[in-house]
Amino acid sequence: MSMPPPVAQDDAQDDTRDEARNEARDANTSAPPAAYRTSVLDSQRALAGSPAAWVNQLRREALEQAHVLSLPTRQDEDWRFTDLSALYRLAFKAASAPAAVVAQAIDPYRIAEAPQRLVFIDGVYAPELSEGPSGEGLTVCSLAQVIAEPSHRLHETVRAHLGTLAPASGGAFAAINTAYLHHGAVLHVARNQAQLTPSHLLFITTREGLASYPRVLVIAEGGSQCHVVEDHVSLHQGAACVNAVTEVHIETNAQVRHARIQRDSRSSFHIARCAVSVARDARYESVSIDLGARLSRLDLSVRQEAPGVHIALDGLALVGNGQLADTHSFIDHAAANGASRQLHKTILSGASHAVFNGRILVRPGAQHTDSAQQSRNLLTSGRARVDAKPQLEIHADDVKCAHGATVGQIDQGELFYLLSRGIAPEAARNLLTYGFAADIINRLGVASLAQRLRQQVLEQTDRAGSPS
Amino acid sequence: MSSTLQDLIDQPYQHGFVTDIESDVVARGLNEDVIRLISAKKNEPDWLLEFRLSAYRHWLTMTAPEWATVDYPPIDFQSIAYYSAPKAKKKLASMDEVDPELLRTFEKLGVPIHEQKALAGVAVDVIFDSVSVTTTYKKRLAEAGVIFCSFSEAVQEHPELIRRYLGTVVASNDNYYAALNSAVFTDGSFCFIPRGVKCPMELSTYFRINTQESGQFERTLIVAEEGAQVSYLEGCTAPQFDTNQLHAAVVELVALERADIKYSTVQNWYAGDANGVGGIYNFVTKRGLCKGDHSRISWTQVETGSAITWKYPSCVLEGDHSVGEFYSVALTNHHQQADTGTKMVHLGRNTRSTIISKGISAGVSSNSYRGLVQIGPKASGARNYSQCDSMLIGDRCAANTFPYLRVMNDSSTVEHEATTSKIGADQLFYFASRGIDNESAVSMIINGFVKDVFTQLPMEFAVEASKLLGLKLEGSVG
Repeated sequence: MSMPPPVAQDDAQDDTRDEARNEARDANTSAPPAAYRTSVLDSQRALAGSPAAWVNQLRREALEQAHVLSLPTRQDEDWRFTDLSALYRLAFKAASAPAAVVAQAIDPYRIAEAPQRLVFIDGVYAPELSEGPSGEGLTVCSLAQVIAEPSHRLHETVRAHLGTLAPASGGAFAAINTAYLHHGAVLHVARNQAQLTPSHLLFITTREGLASYPRVLVIAEGGSQCHVVEDHVSLHQGAACVNAVTEVHIETNAQVRHARIQRDSRSSFHIARCAVSVARDARYESVSIDLGARLSRLDLSVRQEAPGVHIALDGLALVGNGQLADTHSFIDHAAANGASRQLHKTILSGASHAVFNGRILVRPGAQHTDSAQQSRNLLTSGRARVDAKPQLEIHADDVKCAHGATVGQIDQGELFYLLSRGIAPEAARNLLTYGFAADIINRLGVASLAQRLRQQVLEQTDRAGSPS
Repeated sequence: MSSTLQDLIDQPYQHGFVTDIESDVVARGLNEDVIRLISAKKNEPDWLLEFRLSAYRHWLTMTAPEWATVDYPPIDFQSIAYYSAPKAKKKLASMDEVDPELLRTFEKLGVPIHEQKALAGVAVDVIFDSVSVTTTYKKRLAEAGVIFCSFSEAVQEHPELIRRYLGTVVASNDNYYAALNSAVFTDGSFCFIPRGVKCPMELSTYFRINTQESGQFERTLIVAEEGAQVSYLEGCTAPQFDTNQLHAAVVELVALERADIKYSTVQNWYAGDANGVGGIYNFVTKRGLCKGDHSRISWTQVETGSAITWKYPSCVLEGDHSVGEFYSVALTNHHQQADTGTKMVHLGRNTRSTIISKGISAGVSSNSYRGLVQIGPKASGARNYSQCDSMLIGDRCAANTFPYLRVMNDSSTVEHEATTSKIGADQLFYFASRGIDNESAVSMIINGFVKDVFTQLPMEFAVEASKLLGLKLEGSVG
C-alpha cells in the first residue's frame, strides 16, 4: 500500500519534483547489492555447530530464509521512508572472539537498582562482567549456556519458545539474526513469582566494522512479574551494525515491564525486532528510547492472544544531525476486552529524520477494545523531516479507538512565559525540549537510568541548540 | 436493534433501470486505432490526439496500483467499449428536440432539467453516456463571461484554453487510471471563470452511465482566473447492471490568485447487489491546484455508491496563503469497498488545509481513509488540521485509517485525529427513554455524525445527500 506518486508537472512544484527525482534515484541505487547478503552471511560459516541439534536446525532454516527473503528497500511500503542503501554499501563481520573489556569501561552503564546484569561484548556473552545470582523464581542467564546443557531446567522451555514469535521467515534481518543464533539472554520468571527490581541486559559494541546479533528471550509464567532493561551501548565512535531480536512471552495474568535503550554510536546501524505475545489478563508495558545510531529501526509488535490484556507502549526518539530513527509498532488486538495505550515522541534537530508507523489492528470479534495512540513530533530545525503514519484497522464494531498525530514546534506561549521569567531564549527552548522528552524517560521506572538519560538529553539538546 | 437496522440498510437501489436508446458504440478493445477513432469522431486537433497517444503509450508501461485496501478481479481493458454516444447526433436548440425517451429517464431520476432548475438557478450540463445533449443557461453565463460547456465543445470553441490548462494539474502519466483516462476520455465538462467574476449561479452536472460495459472516462477542467469564484456540483446515479463497469474520471481544478473553487460531489452509482455482484468501479483522480496566492479550493464529497471507490481529491497548495479543504462522507454497505481520502501538498508559505472525513461502514463492507499531508521545506507557517471519524454498524465490516504525515519544515503545524465509534446501545436507550423510536434515533445519530460535512454542501445538494443516506441506511429519513 502506498500513495500514488507525488504530483510532478509544474515548474513551481520543484519541492515535490526534487523529491520524486530523489525517490527515482534511490530506487535505482537502493537495490540491495547481492554483495551485502553474501558478506553479511559470510562469517556464519565460521560459526561452530551448536551442541543442540534443534539449534542447528533453526540456524539452517534461518540461513535458507536469509538467502531467499529480499532485503528491504524503499520500494517496500514498510521501508518507504528509511533508506538502507548506506548499510548495504558496508560490510560487517560478526566478532569471532570477544574483545577484552575492562570492568571500569562499563561502569558508566551500571544500573544501581539492578541486581542482575548480563553483559555482551560485540554480541558475545561476557561472564566475567556479568553478575547477580538469579533471584527467587527468576533466572537470568546466557542463552548459549542453556542450549549447551540439555539437562538445564530451562532447556526444554527455551526450545519450545525460541524463534516462535519472531520467526526467521518474518523478515531478512530476523533471518540473519537467527542464522547467527548462539549468544543471547534468557530471562525466565516462574509461576506467581514477582521480581520487581530490573534485570539489566547490556549489549556493548567495542569496535567498528563488527556486526552483532543480540538475542533476548523473556518468558513470564502465569501470574509472575518482571522488569527487563535491554540496553545497547557503544564504546567507540565508529560504524557497527546491531541486528537484535527480542521475544517476550507473557502468560496468563503475568506482567512484564520492558525498557529498551538504544544509545549506539552515531555512525552505527541498529535494526531491531521485538515481538511480544500477551496472554489472558496479562500486562505489557514498554518504554523504548532511541538516542544513538546513524540509522535505527525498531519493529515492535505486540499481539493480544486472549481477552482482557493491557498494553502500554511509550517511545522517545531524539535525533540530531545525520540521524534517522524509525519506529514501526504494531498492536494486534486478536481478542476481546483489550486495552492499549501508546505515546510516541520524537525530537528532531539538525538534518535529521524521524519515522513513526503505528499500526493498530482490531480483529473481528475483538469487541470492547479500547485503544488510544498518540504520535507527537517536535521539530527544532528547518532541515529536519518527520514521516508519521498512525494506522487504524478496525474489524469490530463495539470498540473505542482513537489516534492522533501532531507535528509542530515549541509552543510560543510557553516560550514567552519562560522569557518573561528572565530565562534566556536558548535555555528556555532547551528546557521545554527537555520537558517534552522527560515525560517519556520518567516512565522508565529505573531512577538512576532515567537520571542519566535525562542528563544525556540535556547535553544533546544543548549541543543541537548551539549554532552548528 | 439489529434487525430494524438491517431492514433499513437493505434498501434496494432505487435508480435501477436501463433506458432503451440505441447507442453509437465503438467496438470493444483498446489500441492506438481506437484512440485515433475517438479523436477523429470528436473532430479533435492534432495536439490533443498527440496528448492521448502519449498518455496511452505511457499507460502501456504502467501497472495497475495494488496498494489500496480494495479487492477486485483484474480488469480486462480489451473487453471495454471506449466510446458510446446517443444516436441523436445533431445539435439541439431546444428541449423539444431532445429524445423523449431520454427526457423520461431524467424524469425518473428526478433531474428537473427544465423550469424547476431554472427557478432553482442551476445550469445543468447533462452528460448522457459521454456526449452532452443539452446545456441550459449558457446564455446567462455567457453574459457574465463564464464559459460552461461540454469538454468536446470546449475543444472546438476554446482550444487555446484547453491546450493551456489540460494536464497541468493531473499529468497524463500521473497514475495508471489517469493515464488511461487521458488516452480515451470521451467527454466531460469545461468551466472557465474569467478574472474577477463571481459565477452568477451554481454550476451542476449530472453524470449518468447507461450503456452496459461502456466505461466512462470523464474529463473535467475548471479554471478560475484571478479573483474569480465558482461553486460546482456533480451528482451521479446509474442503472442496475450485472457486469462491473469501470469509471476512471479525471478532474482538474486551477485556481489563480485569490480565486475560489468549491467542488461538491454526491455519488450514488450502482454498488452491486447484496452479494457483491456487479457495481461500478470508481477509480477517479481529482486534484486542484491553488496556483495563485490567497486562492482556495474546497472539495466536498458524499460517496454512497460504487462497488469500489478509489478516489483522493487533492489540493496542491502552491500559492502563498492558499487554502485547501476536504470534507467527505463515505458510506459503504454490503460488499462495497471504499479507499478514499485526500492529499494536501503544501508548497507555499502560510498555506492552510483542513480535512474532515466521516466514514460509515455497514454489512461486510470495507471503508478506508487514506490521506497524505505533506509540508514542503519552503512551506513556512503551514497549518493542517485533519479529523477522520469512523462509524461501524455491525461486526463484520471494517474501518481503516491510513494517514501519512510528511513534514519537512519546522515552522509548520500538523495535527491529525481519528476516532471510531458505533451507535451504542446506551445512546439508543436514551432516545427510547425520551420516546424516540430506533429508526429516528439512528437517523439522528447518523445525521449528527455527518453534520460537519453536510453543512459544507450547497443547499439543494445537502437535501439530496440526506436523502441518499436515508435510502442507504435509514429508510424515510430526510
